[in-house]
Amino acid sequence: MRSTTNTIWAVFGLALILVLPAFAGGQWIKIFTSTTTFAMAAAGAGFLYTRLGMVSLVQVGLMGVGGWVTLRLNHAFNFPFEINLMVAGAVTMFLGNLIALPALRMRGLYLALITLMFAAGLDIVFTAKQFPNGAAGFWGVGTTFAADMRRPLLAQSDAAYLRYTMVWLVIGFVLIELHRRMAPGRAWALIRKSEAAALASGVNVTLYKTWAFGLSGLLAGLGGGLLAGSLGLLDSATFRASESVMLFALVIVGGARFWYGAVIAAVLFRVVPGLLNNWGVDADLSLVIFGAALLHAVMTAPDGLAGQINGAVRALIPGGKTAETKSDKKGAKA
Amino acid sequence: MLKTLKTTGTAMGLIFAAGAAFAAPNCGANTGEAATGTPIKVGGIHGNAAPGDFSSSTAAAEAYFDCVNANGGINGRPIEYLVENDQWNPELASQAASKLVVDEDVVALVGNGSFVEMSVNSGFYKDQNVMTMAAACAASECFESSNIVSTNQGPLPSSIGAAMYMVEEKGAQNVSCIALTIPNSGPWSCGAAVEYMESKGLSGTGVYLNPASPDVNSGLLEAIASGADTIIVNLPAGLGIAVLKAAEEQGLGDAYQWASSTPLYDRDVPAALGDYWDGKLFVSAEMTPWDKGGEDATNWLAVMDAYGEEKDPRDSFSQAGFLSAKIFVDTLLGMDPADLDDRAKVTDAITAISGYESDLVCGPFYVGEADRHMPNHAGTMVVVKDGGFETVRDCFEYDSPYFAPIFEQEVALGLR
Repeated sequence: MRSTTNTIWAVFGLALILVLPAFAGGQWIKIFTSTTTFAMAAAGAGFLYTRLGMVSLVQVGLMGVGGWVTLRLNHAFNFPFEINLMVAGAVTMFLGNLIALPALRMRGLYLALITLMFAAGLDIVFTAKQFPNGAAGFWGVGTTFAADMRRPLLAQSDAAYLRYTMVWLVIGFVLIELHRRMAPGRAWALIRKSEAAALASGVNVTLYKTWAFGLSGLLAGLGGGLLAGSLGLLDSATFRASESVMLFALVIVGGARFWYGAVIAAVLFRVVPGLLNNWGVDADLSLVIFGAALLHAVMTAPDGLAGQINGAVRALIPGGKTAETKSDKKGAKA
Repeated sequence: MLKTLKTTGTAMGLIFAAGAAFAAPNCGANTGEAATGTPIKVGGIHGNAAPGDFSSSTAAAEAYFDCVNANGGINGRPIEYLVENDQWNPELASQAASKLVVDEDVVALVGNGSFVEMSVNSGFYKDQNVMTMAAACAASECFESSNIVSTNQGPLPSSIGAAMYMVEEKGAQNVSCIALTIPNSGPWSCGAAVEYMESKGLSGTGVYLNPASPDVNSGLLEAIASGADTIIVNLPAGLGIAVLKAAEEQGLGDAYQWASSTPLYDRDVPAALGDYWDGKLFVSAEMTPWDKGGEDATNWLAVMDAYGEEKDPRDSFSQAGFLSAKIFVDTLLGMDPADLDDRAKVTDAITAISGYESDLVCGPFYVGEADRHMPNHAGTMVVVKDGGFETVRDCFEYDSPYFAPIFEQEVALGLR
């Protein structure tokens, strides 16, 4: 049963990667590219929350770091885009580990606050130092014309770049799924149930918690690097601490338990304001919509919109009405 | 009898006054008949969000296009002007440009005004072979890229002009320039003003505010701490007024000399500043003063009154937006009507503009094929006086090595 659903989703995802860039207009290709990069960060936050119950409010800030590193390397060396992106991911993975270390003793709200403080710190650095635009020096910020951002050889056009970003998102999801199915996944499940039990079973809690934060940081960094490749230059306004909080809230709305919850979160984060802009409505109205959606999720849909979609899909497939489905349906009705 | 004469006289006077104030706008072919053909799509991008509203230029361009459409359009075809807001956000700026150039297939962009849009999109415009006739440019890419040309000067010449006047006429020795921390806008322009000071053996500093949360008081204190005797406010109008209000509260108006780049040359600014700043604030206006009474200056006010909205600012950027739109329309009217939908031909026609005279700018407007464009680089100094502005130095060229390549272009085009 589960494999049927997964196959449906895989076919749907593949179709989307092929069709979406071919038929979307210029503006929507840009919006979908941004959406995809934020989906990577959302996936990181979502998996951290479901697997370990840890709240990371620094995902968008880490995207900024990933973007910074990608831009910096692009302007400093002649490496291919992928190398810059990988290094960016490695840096944010390391930063993720670093945040996790002091956070290990904290749980729940206190852990969330530490990550939020980290995000606020990054916010200040981005505002004060800005993003590299091709000038000399460590910070690489010049006051004249910005240098070119090299895109991947395979993805020079906007449409090809969207496809390229979507492939990276799929790689991100596969990476999370592989972790879930292997040793780290089992360790995380045990830690989530009881840290004491995990310790007693010989699980290295420190290692696996930092590992999880590192993976989440890696995804955010890749997302940030891909965003930098799309725009060519970045602005601190994109990576405010408040954006990290917003993205996390939308992960809850989207549904952290399901991989497509991250996609829904990113769609809410970028497509809804894009739609409002197109309709000539102030995009800030999206904040009101997000607030209402969060209330809805907290009150009636603990698994978010993805949980409700999952329930509906299962109900449609014959023989799929398990106990879990019934509870999901209940949530959907309410 | 006498009373009747008086009444008649007053009535006549009123009619004349009204006639002067509401001179009939003169737009495009000026046929008086509305254009009804297939619209010609033209785009425009402005930035309107905290900390500043840069929609004045597109508002003026829109008013002029409306007037043109009501007066025969371009050979009977109206201009469909599509305006997007980048909200000071690079992502939205990139989306807006894609929407206009790729999805809507506009033949050109006119009246753009932003701190962000040009930095993100200058390469895209080049790739797409579309020209942007901007009007409220505030970033280096506006002036240092091939497919953007602006009727305004941008913050760099404007603040050099302010510094130059304060040095030459007011004996400024040490200037502090307050701007936003956006690298290719604030540090770019204030940096050039500081370089100008240093080239004269004087000193200068730049003070930069965070656009997301501009703290005008601390910016002001930083400027004072630099030991400056003259402070140049190089910010969007709203923030500039906030800085001056903070200075007024601290009683700094007489202790320092005050100047500003063009955003404060706005008809409503003297009233917003109040009597305190009367005679104290010198503004480097990028366009010629509106009370000079030139043909285009009068027409701009008439078009704004007839086709703009009351709330639209009457400022340098509005003048520049009007001028960009007017030059664009005149260029289209000079083209073969069959080529009007061909973006490449429109781009060629705009690139070929040379020696366009208008009383709204001090020198001729031109484009030409070049990697940088800054046709407008001579300005006017005005001072806030009696609820309005008074010209203290008419059209003068700025003194900076920055303009050397631009002068070379002008020599090559036979304009200098």
